[in-house]
Amino acid sequence: MSDAPSAAAAPSTESLEVIRKFAETYAQRTGTFFCSDSGVTAVVLEGLARHKEQLGGALCPCRHYEDKEAEVSQAFWNCPCVPMRERKECHCMLFLTEDNPFRGDTQSITLSEIRSHTNGSTP
Amino acid sequence: MSSAAAVTDASFEQDVLKSDVPVLVDFWAPWCGPCRMVAPIVDEIAKEFEGKLKVCKLNTDENPNVASQYGIRSIPTLMVFKGGQKVDTVVGAVPKNTLSGTISKHL
Repeated sequence: MSDAPSAAAAPSTESLEVIRKFAETYAQRTGTFFCSDSGVTAVVLEGLARHKEQLGGALCPCRHYEDKEAEVSQAFWNCPCVPMRERKECHCMLFLTEDNPFRGDTQSITLSEIRSHTNGSTP
Repeated sequence: MSSAAAVTDASFEQDVLKSDVPVLVDFWAPWCGPCRMVAPIVDEIAKEFEGKLKVCKLNTDENPNVASQYGIRSIPTLMVFKGGQKVDTVVGAVPKNTLSGTISKHL
């Protein structure tokens, strides 16, 4: 299908690892959890790593922007975004509060789990 | 994989705005986690309302013009179009019942 992202543009393991570790640490620090569907977490982490590589900032992959470069420098939607930092609101469902029905029990995800959801498949 | 047809910047007018039946458009992006949760719900909706509703999906990364024209910010966003006009909007991953309810109002 045409909506399968090109595997050639996949972020490097290093970029993905930086984002993965950030997300684990941030979840622990804020008392939030990853989604019970680890595919959601995996796709968002890969999206963040892609933005970090392409734009220099981990812009939220669950928004549409007129100008991604301008958004990165404005920083409002760079992860962790302002709504997350102020109110623990993550509409991307990466960091879910304890009362969220979609939250899982974990604050960790492995690199191979991420790759198993994103490698060469339609997210 | 999906029963929702892909629409593009180029085909949007013909496929959505000029449709004889109401259209549900799923604005999604490849690296948006909650879009994965909405996609199967949208497919179920397509089956449930077959013949009465057209269901399409638009990749906002590849089709930024339509996404910008309709002021898409948060993804996923679902919009209902009727007679060439946007008549309803649902933002975020929602339960199927919520979406069915919204659509039923316009059929």
